[in-house]
Amino acid sequence: MQSHFEYLRPSSTKEAVQMKIEFGQRAKYWAGGTDMTLRWRREIDRFSHCIDITYLTGLDNIEVEEDCIRIGALVSLSALERADQRHHLLKTLSDVTKLMCTPQTRTLATVGGNLSNASPAADLTPPFIAMDALAEITTEDGIRTVPMDQFFEGVNRTVVGDDLLSAIEIPLPESQHKVVKYHRIDRTIVDIALVNASTSLSADRSRTITRAGVALGAVAPIVIRSPAAERFLEGKSIDSVSESELEKVGEIASEDAKPISDVRASADYRRAMIKVMTARCIKDCIDELGGTIS
Amino acid sequence: MRIRLNVNGNAIELESATDRTLADVLREELGLIGVRVSCSEGECGSCTILVDGQPMTSCMMLVNQGEGKEILTIEGLGTPEDLHPIQQAFIEEQGFQCAFCTPGFILSAKAFLEENPNPTEDEVAFAMSGNICRCGAYPYIVRSVLNAAEKLQAGSSN
Repeated sequence: MQSHFEYLRPSSTKEAVQMKIEFGQRAKYWAGGTDMTLRWRREIDRFSHCIDITYLTGLDNIEVEEDCIRIGALVSLSALERADQRHHLLKTLSDVTKLMCTPQTRTLATVGGNLSNASPAADLTPPFIAMDALAEITTEDGIRTVPMDQFFEGVNRTVVGDDLLSAIEIPLPESQHKVVKYHRIDRTIVDIALVNASTSLSADRSRTITRAGVALGAVAPIVIRSPAAERFLEGKSIDSVSESELEKVGEIASEDAKPISDVRASADYRRAMIKVMTARCIKDCIDELGGTIS
Repeated sequence: MRIRLNVNGNAIELESATDRTLADVLREELGLIGVRVSCSEGECGSCTILVDGQPMTSCMMLVNQGEGKEILTIEGLGTPEDLHPIQQAFIEEQGFQCAFCTPGFILSAKAFLEENPNPTEDEVAFAMSGNICRCGAYPYIVRSVLNAAEKLQAGSSN
């Protein structure tokens, strides 16, 4: 039987964290609840206290600053979808949200919830990792910051513990043009990704790629980077990458993928698609940066 | 626990266990059975309600999460004597067969048309993608929403 629980509504993030510390494993944070409702009904999670954080203020803003974009953990997927005009990186994230669940669940579901659920197939995780985003985590006595590529410990497991994910920050390095792209394989609408990939490129004024982020989803228990693919791209000019190099970097990424075969797709298929999607993401990034594939 | 809700313009206070969904309370305590619960997993859209004007799957909301917000169910949209233009459009275009899913479609359409009053056919289809019609009346539903857009446009220009 699904567990009965008490409902708690903290008035500040600090109070929320104190409640979580008090009840520990017996308590669950609850935001949009689109994953939590399923986990509760399917008896995956058993808990005695639900800490509803949706009434907390100040966690549902998207702030575009000169040096970073800060997305509050309680920003809904539909709010992110509507932020497409505010920054070109947000345009990509907006397009990603359109692939997720349904319009009615996007109004409920939150960015922080999607990350905290820690699905290896989550759509927002690869772009955040590719962009070197940081998780801002509120603790009982302050804030700690964790790079998104160190945020996940395993399927449905993160480093947050009893603390609370409060925002995601995307750094915007000075004098760099940073772009991000995302591709996924799915069957239809309201589907999760069979496999997905995202890449981010930063280029300076001399059109050199100063930073590359390559993140691969649904090919390991957590979303992973391909450091070898990143190194392959860094230092190249956005006008000098050739078609064969695109293919090469896709191959490098697929070698870093550690997929399993399951009901959704075979390991071989996933590895083959990583190659294709990584190349497509990089091509799209170079296009947006105004470079040319030689 | 005492819970205060604002449903279809009425302030309501009721006693409920806290581990219940808003959909269940709307149906079982308030008798608003136009809130249809089918999949209970946020996929089918039949339990769609408007919360502060936004479409939400009420099967995935805790009852307490409705507090302090304006909730609209199909029962609050029009009356048999005075149908809402979207309801009228669904009748004219036969945008249903069994009509189980219709309240959810109409409320999704209401939120969508307020944001995009003059949509294309493709935009309507995408906006309705969170509602499933097992009778497969989709082409009629799309026509209904386009008809409703015309009605609402004509009404607002008067």
